[in-house]
This record gives sequence, C-alpha cells and structure tokens, in this order.
Amino acid sequence: MSIEDTPHAEGRPTREISVTVNGEEVTREVEPRLKLSDFLRNECDLRGVRVGCEHGVCGACTVSLDGDTVKSCLLYAVQAEDLAVETVEGLAEDGQLHPIQEAFHEEHALQCGFCTSGFVMATKSLLEENPDPERDEIKEGLADNICRCTGYQNIYRAVDRAADKLSDDIEAVRTGADGEEGA
Amino acid sequence: MSESEPQTGHEAGDELEGRSFTGQSVRRFEDRRILTGEAEYIHDVTPPGCLEMAIVRSVHAHANIVDVDTSAAEDHPDCELVLTIEDLQESYNPQPCGLEGYEEWSLADGKARFVGEPIAVVVAADRYLAEDMADLVNVEYETLDPVVDGMDARESDTLVHEDAGTNVADNERIAFGDPDGAFADADHVVEGTYEWGRVSGVPLETAGVVAQYDEDGDSFHIDCNIQLHTLVDDTVYETLGRPADRVELNVPADVGGSFGTKIAIHRYCNLAAMAAEQLGRPVKFVEDRIENLQGGDMHCSERTYEMRLACDDDGTMRGLDVWFVDDFGAWPHYPVNQVLKPLSVLTNSYAIDDVVYEYDLVLTNKTAQTAYRGFGVDPHQYALEMLVDDAARELDIDPTEFRRRNLVTPDQLPYRIPSGNIYDSGDYPGAMDRMDEILDENERCEGGLLDPETVEQRREEGFYRGTQTAVLIEPGVSGSDWTDRQRTDDETIQNRSREDVAELPEHLRAEVKPDGTVLAWLATDSSGQGHQTLVAQLLADELGLLPSDIEVDYLDSVEAPTEYGSAASRMAVMLSGASVGVGRQLRDALAELAADHWGVDREAVSYRDGRVERSGTDDSLSLAELAELDDEARTHVSYDYEHPATGFPEFDDALTHKYPVYPTAAYAVNAPIVEVDVETGEVEVLKFYTLRDCGTMLNPMIVEGQAHGGIAQGLGAALMEEFGYDQGSGQPQAITMFDYLLPSTKNMPDIEMEHTSHPSPFTETGAKGVGEGGMIDAPAAIACSINDALEPLGVTADKLPFTAHRARKRLREAEE
Ligand code: FES
Ligand code: FES
Repeated sequence: MSIEDTPHAEGRPTREISVTVNGEEVTREVEPRLKLSDFLRNECDLRGVRVGCEHGVCGACTVSLDGDTVKSCLLYAVQAEDLAVETVEGLAEDGQLHPIQEAFHEEHALQCGFCTSGFVMATKSLLEENPDPERDEIKEGLADNICRCTGYQNIYRAVDRAADKLSDDIEAVRTGADGEEGA
Repeated sequence: MSESEPQTGHEAGDELEGRSFTGQSVRRFEDRRILTGEAEYIHDVTPPGCLEMAIVRSVHAHANIVDVDTSAAEDHPDCELVLTIEDLQESYNPQPCGLEGYEEWSLADGKARFVGEPIAVVVAADRYLAEDMADLVNVEYETLDPVVDGMDARESDTLVHEDAGTNVADNERIAFGDPDGAFADADHVVEGTYEWGRVSGVPLETAGVVAQYDEDGDSFHIDCNIQLHTLVDDTVYETLGRPADRVELNVPADVGGSFGTKIAIHRYCNLAAMAAEQLGRPVKFVEDRIENLQGGDMHCSERTYEMRLACDDDGTMRGLDVWFVDDFGAWPHYPVNQVLKPLSVLTNSYAIDDVVYEYDLVLTNKTAQTAYRGFGVDPHQYALEMLVDDAARELDIDPTEFRRRNLVTPDQLPYRIPSGNIYDSGDYPGAMDRMDEILDENERCEGGLLDPETVEQRREEGFYRGTQTAVLIEPGVSGSDWTDRQRTDDETIQNRSREDVAELPEHLRAEVKPDGTVLAWLATDSSGQGHQTLVAQLLADELGLLPSDIEVDYLDSVEAPTEYGSAASRMAVMLSGASVGVGRQLRDALAELAADHWGVDREAVSYRDGRVERSGTDDSLSLAELAELDDEARTHVSYDYEHPATGFPEFDDALTHKYPVYPTAAYAVNAPIVEVDVETGEVEVLKFYTLRDCGTMLNPMIVEGQAHGGIAQGLGAALMEEFGYDQGSGQPQAITMFDYLLPSTKNMPDIEMEHTSHPSPFTETGAKGVGEGGMIDAPAAIACSINDALEPLGVTADKLPFTAHRARKRLREAEE
C-alpha cells in the first residue's frame, strides 16, 4: 500500500521530494523517517531492491545513488532528494539482460536470488572502477554483500565472465568506431 | 585439480534434439525473473487494502506477565487492532508442533519464556505506524531467574515449564549390539567432550506472511514463505480451528532461502490470519532481521557431547558411546527428528557394531529451535570425528591411517549400520586415496600450501597449518513415518507390521496445454534449489521435448496432497523419480488417446519425440493435436513416486521399528587447508578441497552450487556463527548481523571440487540427495584440520565455533 493512501494522524510531518529513479523523475510527499529502501520498494514499486537486514550488513538493498554504491536501507528517502538512483531494474535493455546479469545466469551465481540484485549492483560498480579484477580484488570489492546460498564460488566466476564480456563489448565498440584502422 | 567447470551451457530453450538433458548443466528457468527484479517474494505481496502488523515482544528471558495494557494503543486513531492472549484463547487454539504436554499459544500465555517472545500484536496502515502503536502497548512484568545453560538446566530448580516438573523434555538411551562387552574387552577407551554452539540457517529473506479471510466461505488464504507447506499446514489450520481445506497456504515461487528454518514460521501465519479475520481485511507481516535473530523460532542445535570410543591396539574401533544434551530453548519444536536423525549415520563411514546412543533434550529460556540443513547430523559428525582424532593421538596412529583401517569397504555395500539404516553405494577408501593423491600433487609439493618447508617456515612465524581428511556421510531422503513411530509406545511398536508403515511419496502432476507444451505441478515448495529446472529437464527427456516446452508451477496446500516435500535432501531423488513416473504415465495416456482416435489397438501406436505414431502408416499426432482431441481431461496425469526404501526389503526392519531410514548415502572427503595465527587465534581456511559422490548428477551445476553453499554455511558454523546468550540474564548476544557473523567473500576460500559417482541402487535415477551436504561435512572437516594444525601445541577445536577468542583461550591454557 502506498504511503499516499495512509491515513496519517494529525500533525505527522511529511515533506515533498523529487528523486530521479532509473531515469524517471518521481515526486512524492513522504515522512522524513521513510527509508530510501522502502521508498524505492513501496512508492516506486521496484521489487529488485530487497531488504535483508535493514542495518547495513547484508547488501541486498544495494543501489547506485548519483554514481555511488550505497545501501538504501541506511539512507532516508529525503536524503535522495534531487539525486539520481539506479536499481537493478534499470539494467536490462529492450528485454536483453545486461552482461553482468547474463554472467550471473551463465555461472549459476544465484540460488534463492534474494541477494542477487545487490550483488549485481555491487559488481557493476566494482567493474566500473576495475575492469579486470584479480580474485582478491573481487573478494574485496564484494565483501559488503552477503549471500547465504552460493558460497560465493560462482559469483567470483560470474564477475570474471562479466569482466571479459564487458571488455569484449568495449573492444567491439572501439574496433567498430575505428573500423578502417582496425581493418 | 581444478573444479570441474559446468559442462557446456545449455540454455533451457536450446535446440538439442535427440540429446539427453539429464546430467547436463541446464541453466535455470528461475533466473531471469530474479535477475531483472521481477521475482515476487513474499515481501513483495501486498493486496489492495492491506494492513500491516507489528509484534510486541518480551524484553525479559523469563518473567511473569502481570498486565498487558493496550488502552493507549487502542485509543490511538492510527490503530486498527490489538490482539492479546485473551483474544486468542477466546476464539482459537494453541499451536501444535512439538512434544505432547506443552501447550504453546501464538502469544505468550501468562509467562514470557525467552527474549523476543511475542506478547501482543498490533495492526495499522503500514509498518511504520504499526511499530508506533506497538510502542504504546505497556507490559508489566515480574521477572524470574532464567535458566540459560543446557547442562545446568537438567538439575536446575528453576523450571521453564512448571507443569512439566523438569527441564528435561525427553531423554532416551538406545543400545545396539553389545556395547558393554565391547568397552570391557577393548585395549583402550578414549573419552572426549565436545561442544557445538547454537547456529542457524539465517536465510537472507526473513519470514513473511499475507493473510486474507473470506467471510462467506469462513476460509483463509495465506501467502507465506513457510517451508514444507503441505506437511506443516496443520500447525496453522489446527490453530485457527478450521478444517484443512479451508486454510489454504500458498508459497510464492520465489523464496529467499530457508535451509529448513522456515518450517517454524507458523506463529506468524497464525497471528496474521487471526488479525485478518478480526478486521476483515488483508494483514501482512514481514519479520525484521532483529526479530528474526532474536526471537524468530529459528535457532538450531546447541549441544554438549560426551563420547567414548573403544579401540584395540591395532587400531580397530570396537565400540562407540554417544551421550549428549541438546538445548532446545523454551519450547520443544520438532524435537524428535533433531536428536534422532544422527542415528541414520550413527557410525559415520566406520564399521562399528556395538554402540550406545543417549540424549537429554532440555528446555531453557532461549528461542525455540527449528530445523536447519542437516537437522542435527552436523554436530554428530563433528563430535564423532573429533573423538576419532583424539583416539588416533592416544593410540599414536596417524589419524588418516586410523580412519582408513576402519572404513566400510566397497564389497560391504549396501551396508547396514547398527541402527538399521543402510548405506547404498560408494567407495570410501578409494575416495580417501584419491584425496591423498590430489593433496600430494597440488599441495604437498614444492610451492604448494603444504610444502613441508613452507609449513615449517610459517610455523616459525607463528602460523600453524594443517589438513585432515575424513569420509563424511550425508543421509538423504527421509520419508517414512519414523517421527510418529518414535512417539509410539514400545509395545505397539513391537506389534507393528510392515503394512502399518506410512510412506511419504512425492507427488507430481502434468498436463498437455492446447499449444502442445506441458505444464507440470509441484506439490512442494522451493527456496532456490532449482526444482523447476530439474523437473523440466527430466520431463523433457521422458517426453522427447525441450526443457523450454515444459512449464512448472506449484500447488497450494489445499490442492496438493499432504506429502512431505522439500526436506532432508529429498528433492533430487524424489522429484526425479516422480518426473520419470509422470512422464511414463503421460506417454501412455497420449498413446491411448491416439489409439482411440484412430480406432486401433493400443499396441498399434507408439509415442516418440513429442508425437504419437501409428505403426505401418505415416499417421501421427502432435501433442497440440492430442490436446485438442482430449475432451475428458485424459491428458491430465498425476503420479506418486514411492519413497525408495519402500521397495527394498532390506529396509523392512528399520521401517517397521523406531529408527530413521535414509536410503541414500552421499558422501564427501574434505581436506580444508587451515592456518591458525597463534598470536591472535584467527583461523583462516586457505583452500577447501572436496571430493564428493552423489550418485547420478542430474544437473552438475546445481549439485555443485548446493555443495558450495553448504560448505560456506559449514565454515560459518565452524568458525564464526553463534547465538550466544548472557549467562546471567539470558539476553541474546547476537541480534544483528554485526553480532551473528555470516561468512562473506573475505572468509570464503576457493573451493576445489571433484566428483566421483556411484549411483544409488535404491533410487529411480541413481541420484542421491545432496541438499544438506557441506553443512553436514564441513564443520567436522575444518575442526579436524585445526586439530592437525595445532597438534604440536596439543590444542584441539573442542568447541565450535572455534572463534579467535576461543582459540586464544585454548592456546593460552596449553602454554601454562
Ligand atoms: S537491507 Fe540494507 S544492507 Fe541489508
Ligand atoms: S542466492 Fe540466496 S542469498 Fe544469495
């Protein structure tokens, strides 16, 4: 149920905020105590934002906020005012899985899947910073996310595969752009 | 050795005519919706007009509840409803689940018995408001001394349940063979005390429920992420006081992990359903993480073992004596299974004939236990392997050699252990040898982690390395009525015959859709194991279709027969058997339909590759055409795959009497290489070698995924995870994920996995269950590797988790 329909008692404070969510501007009247994770799940109907602990340990709620990887359960929605949020829902284009999503599927890097959007978002930010991470760097980069099912082995592989895939894509774009020279 | 790469990927929809999908790493059907954020977990279910519930919980471990003042909450305009124990007792029943003689209500009745025990519920428009209302409920307590330690509770004058007159809710001593004789005759008797800390599955998704009440039918529709929804539905419909067919439990296709733990979330289902009935509106409850860790009825075994092993000078194991106390917390939930399942692997991989097994199941002021991956087998394997290590040392025999001398040999299989269970297939000594070879080749050589020079050098720097192999059996596929048998009196059990045994088969339905694809219905719920994919790939083979031609859906608790479902690694075995059976049935039904249509004998037609053909002609009918012809639902079939022990007379005796029957014995030989920093006590697992046998691998990718996850949980239990309690106040010490530590990428080493395959002669497809592997075998393996590493210092991992703090303590004691 959305907060808008909530029969607020007299005097409960609210504030209007605008947030850009996966490229679209969303304006809502919210309570200042509303967590960003709940805002995204309930107001924006983005189920990919999962809540596993609400105290910043599990990483299931990981999203990108103006390019920074954050745990949305540790922020209030009002703190995202005028900022841009990206969630896992924003990754697939035209029904095509993003190379990271594809890699998770190929490598069986998810079981129950509750952690998966968080891991996909964390992987995205890891690969943006370091397109070709070593195993230790992967472990370091994903240490803020917990998966209870996979034992991480296939997640490491998925990150490797996604890194390869993304660098191939970049290569393809580069050679495509420099077509003449490449030939 | 490198871990076997999943075989060349097959997308579920790939064109692979004429090839078998069984045994291939078919990519999962379940993934796409999860990866794109389209999956619907229970947290995402919110029907129109839905209200939310919050719970008022006890802040004391043990206290009389003098008064629950709800007036401030009730007077508040945002409050929709408050329920207290009086409201429950007026209209509903206690919740069944546990031993007779303990009457548990969904809210505390007169006395709080653990911190976090629900005392009242409030309902409001959303969770924020509901929590505000919960704060307005005022509970007056009269505190009592708590009983916190399981061993002390046995003698304590403070009782968790006064009416019971004791904190020992159950105890039993069972002897097999002639243990007294064995212990009297043996050259040595080695003793040890080993402790296992309170752990649990802690799935990433907490419990959730959305309850709706229909006044016209006086019935409930309850969406929830309970596990085994067709088996444990009685804990909900009996509490609500309605017949089973008016309380529909529906589990979403996506469940964020369970590992056994979610069988015990009925309390939440009951409370939300009661609130929904009172209000005539849907009511949702999502447990938060603190509630889950503190008082969510989801902790598992907490045991102290005192064990004895009788051996001869030549290293022959003669007798085993197991005694333990299991601290169940405030209520004896699912107690019998938990303490008796280890009987199915009583002597692990060793041939020992004379054994005693004895336990005290005690109650304390802690959260009640539930099931967790392994259901009590993991502590047993740990304690037994610790004892074996201690004995090897006392006999001055190399622990690996000591184990090898006592292993059940391939020519003894199928092998009956003293408690009646039978190990189906395998080669335990061969697996030990192979692991030795792997370690020699990769690690005990120059540059390897166990290169003697490196080990020596690291030791000088204060880092002690070691590894120890052992063969650990995973009992798979429970399924008969042994819980009931265990509670039946001895005389009745004596007079029982084989015909009295209730079996628990697995049910599967399938039908042909108008477009010629096949829709299958599972009677079981899933929580990430890939059941849909498994059924699709097996059915595709049976019907000569592609996995993408098969759709798999779920039945709710009313539609599905009361079966057993997803527990004790049943699914690979039971669902594969059911898939083969239902496929056969559907082929027959289709052939008959075609024969009738053509007006010929059944023998004149045959089913092949998604069509029925009429011999000697070019006539054939596709599945879509057959569906069109079928006006009597003859293309709808269902099949029950019998529990594998049913068909084998070898199991008759164990089935008829009171012991658990787990007819598959998957096993692992592990060699985790550990390093202990003796300065800090920190234990690091540098690499985890494992060699595993689960018989036929139906989908190797999924098999490996299960093992990886199990090993990670095992590592957590061995080194990090524990629900500690303050010994004075009974306050839980691990109520956030900052205190209850789960393994992260930083703790998990690379796992090097190899497989060997000895298909089970007892199951339809040769598969053995593997759902609990890793959790069952990794803690024992890590503990034994620590024993090896610290051998020179005379320290063993005698209490798990072997945290840095505990390790330091042991090391300090050893120095003194
Ligand atoms: S839900 Fe935000 S980190 Fe766990
Ligand atoms: S797949 Fe279940 S928590 Fe990661």
